Amino acid sequence: MASESKSQLKAKAGRKTPGGGVDNQPLKRIALVGNPNVGKSVIFGLLTGKYATVSNYPGTTVEVTQSNMTLGGQRYLVVDTPGVNNLLPMSEDEQVTRDILLEQRPDITVQVGDAKNLRRTLSITIQLAEMGLPVVLDLNMEDEAMDSGITIEKEALSLALGIQVVGTVAPQRKGLKELSSAILSGGAVPAFNMDYGKAEEYIEKIASCLPPANISGRSIALMVLAGDKSLAPWLKANLDETAIENIESIRDECALKLGAPIGLYINETRLKKAGEIVPAVFSKVPQRENAVISFLSKVTIHPVWGVPFLLVVLACLYEFVGVLGAGVFVNFLERVIFGQYLNPMFARVFELIPVPFLRELFVGRYGIITMALTYSIAIVLPITTTFFIAFSILEDSGYLPRLAIMTNKFFNMMGLSGKAVLPMVLGLGCGTMAVMTTRILEGKRDRLIAIFLLALAIPCSAQLGVILGMLGSLSMKAMVIWLLSVFGVLLFAGWLAAKILPGKRSEFFLEIPPIRKPSLQNVALKTANRAVWYLKEAVPLFILGTLVLFTLDKLNMLTLIEKAASPVVVGLLGLPPKATEAFIIGFLRRDYGAAGLFDMSRHGLLTHVQALVSIVTITLFLPCLASFFIIIKEKGIRVALLMLAIITPFALIFGGFLNWTLRYFNVSV
Amino acid sequence: MRAAPETEKRQFEDEALESLWELYEKSGSGMGTGGETVSLEELKSSLENAPALDGMHKEELIEISGGRVKFTGAGRLRARDITRRHRLAERLFADILALNEYEEDACRFEHAISPEVEEAICTFLGHPPTCPHNRPIPRGKCCKLYAKKVTPLVASLADSQVGEDYKVVFLRTPMIDRLASIGLVAGSLIRLVQKKPSYVLKVDETTIAVEEEVAKGVFVKKP
Repeated sequence: MASESKSQLKAKAGRKTPGGGVDNQPLKRIALVGNPNVGKSVIFGLLTGKYATVSNYPGTTVEVTQSNMTLGGQRYLVVDTPGVNNLLPMSEDEQVTRDILLEQRPDITVQVGDAKNLRRTLSITIQLAEMGLPVVLDLNMEDEAMDSGITIEKEALSLALGIQVVGTVAPQRKGLKELSSAILSGGAVPAFNMDYGKAEEYIEKIASCLPPANISGRSIALMVLAGDKSLAPWLKANLDETAIENIESIRDECALKLGAPIGLYINETRLKKAGEIVPAVFSKVPQRENAVISFLSKVTIHPVWGVPFLLVVLACLYEFVGVLGAGVFVNFLERVIFGQYLNPMFARVFELIPVPFLRELFVGRYGIITMALTYSIAIVLPITTTFFIAFSILEDSGYLPRLAIMTNKFFNMMGLSGKAVLPMVLGLGCGTMAVMTTRILEGKRDRLIAIFLLALAIPCSAQLGVILGMLGSLSMKAMVIWLLSVFGVLLFAGWLAAKILPGKRSEFFLEIPPIRKPSLQNVALKTANRAVWYLKEAVPLFILGTLVLFTLDKLNMLTLIEKAASPVVVGLLGLPPKATEAFIIGFLRRDYGAAGLFDMSRHGLLTHVQALVSIVTITLFLPCLASFFIIIKEKGIRVALLMLAIITPFALIFGGFLNWTLRYFNVSV
Repeated sequence: MRAAPETEKRQFEDEALESLWELYEKSGSGMGTGGETVSLEELKSSLENAPALDGMHKEELIEISGGRVKFTGAGRLRARDITRRHRLAERLFADILALNEYEEDACRFEHAISPEVEEAICTFLGHPPTCPHNRPIPRGKCCKLYAKKVTPLVASLADSQVGEDYKVVFLRTPMIDRLASIGLVAGSLIRLVQKKPSYVLKVDETTIAVEEEVAKGVFVKKP
């Protein structure tokens, strides 16, 4: 592509041009496909300029992200897909990707692969070739391959497969130009000459029974033969019953002939083919590992040292988020910026307005500025931001999947496998994202339990930060009681759910990425993105909650509600009536409720025991509105309501139990 | 089809010797170098064709005196071999082929295999010390040789050494498709990184974590 001019190669980042701003060419589709954790989202960001979350663990992308780009005068729609190890889907995130290829048929498939793992990469290329899709192969992470002493003859590989093969180091933008020009060339269907031996005649037989589709009949026939159940709806929609029965009998015949599971046979044939190509283009000279990385790789999963390491990580997290974020930053923002400057300034401005109603609406006791904005920006924002920074570093280091190794046995007790640690820990960031991430879990039952536990006992970053801030002003004992309560509930609820729900948990299997040095740029970008997302999502709800309180207060209903709720709030939980407000707004967002309690505790309205009881209760309280909607989306309204009906009374009863215990044994915290 | 009379006779003798071996084990009289005896009545009651015992007596496989039976040197050796083959067959059927009903087949199998096959099976199974019913498998020549080496030829990852490289021989786990999808199939080279708190394996440049149940189903040998 030497004739391409430079200007043509420049990708115009993510600018949407509705109505075809560039010219009248049709929009071409590009799908980024590849194994998990190979850097598809980084490539996506480079091509389109739109940030898709990038982390160092498989399963960061569970949903499709898409954006436009313009390359050489042609407009493209670029789709970032969840990583797949196989286009025979084994979990819901993998199915998302297969369905995109099946239903949308991209004009070009850019396969992103890990340069270190050529055999696995090629086994996906083979499947794309079988589908008849034009492919450009991008071997990413060339720097890591080089560090491990791996060299790949890209020209030889390109010649062997008849497609363009480029190498990239995405975070450094290396090889981006070559990738762009390869995309412009349009891609080609890779040549592999696959031969499935004894299965061939059955592949042909099934292919001839299939309706026309976006991808080759041969590839669908292979999926059917391999026993891909996720294909059943598509088959049902496109074929009549006798045809489906016919296909099934062909499959049974094939299984009999092979005398082995067909799916495994197909997989092995592909891997064998890939394995034949690798030696000719791949060479490795073993290198000495980086000492720090090698040490961390070992200590993080060490049966003994892994535990103190985790405790150190948690202590650092507490110092950074609980002390620096919730202490220093919140104090500065709330007391100085809002307390001394902004709120008095707005108060003075609104004094000029002769309408008392407006004045109270903005700067009153339940004012949009004095309550909603103070809570969201002065209390919660610094906490979430510090949390997101720490969390991004953890995500990018590759530590989180290693936690799964350490905690598998613990999760087994809750009917889950260690893999569930990923959505759970992610839930500490945000419950909504975490509920979606449960898609990486293999079984439906695992997903249901994980979502339930997320909704019940996993506080999100905002809430967690506020709680840590409150615990910071109590004692170590309070911290321990809170931790024991939450872990106890988590364990008990998980154990119970595992007992009640039929079926068996899926077995633990997780790919562990290498330990990597987090990139400062990605941490900053990811934190900024999440902070913006927080502001967009939380602030309107904070304002809404404030308006609810304001209206109730104006209608003199607040005291009525406080009275009505008093048997629960005052009687059961032993809290002052004003705490009712925190639970009302806690319906909208748990962190908002927690912020209300935080505020009360800072103004000396709660005793230590009350503070502890209230934060345990709010931790277990309803999931926030946003994650409630996500649960509806993922699991349906019935399941969501059922969870709500279990969680609310449970949280209150447990809070009451704790209150009674603390008082009965006269525990001082 | 009936077996030739000669084979039939041999099979009966084998069964009788095996029964005698088992009775010795049961009586707890120790499996020392001879001298132990079992009551003739007891042995007869465990056999189908008891009168043929007399023939064995004549062939000097057993000695009968005063209602007690004991091995001769030759009889003892043959009893040992047949018991060993039977119990190895049980191990093979139960562990590797995952059969539930294997007793009858094991009985037929024990007569059919040559010493070479017996040795190969024993090595393949990693020189198991006991049968699935927990009775000891008499040691063979290969086991004694093996005692000097460290690893069995084929063993599950659960019985393998941390930090070593292995070649996968076969897989017997429901996770087989998942493992295949990351490139772990029969023939792959893998390294066992650690066993606790979870199993960690390395295949090419891919590291995976699995639980013990899965690791037990991955059978490997030294590359």
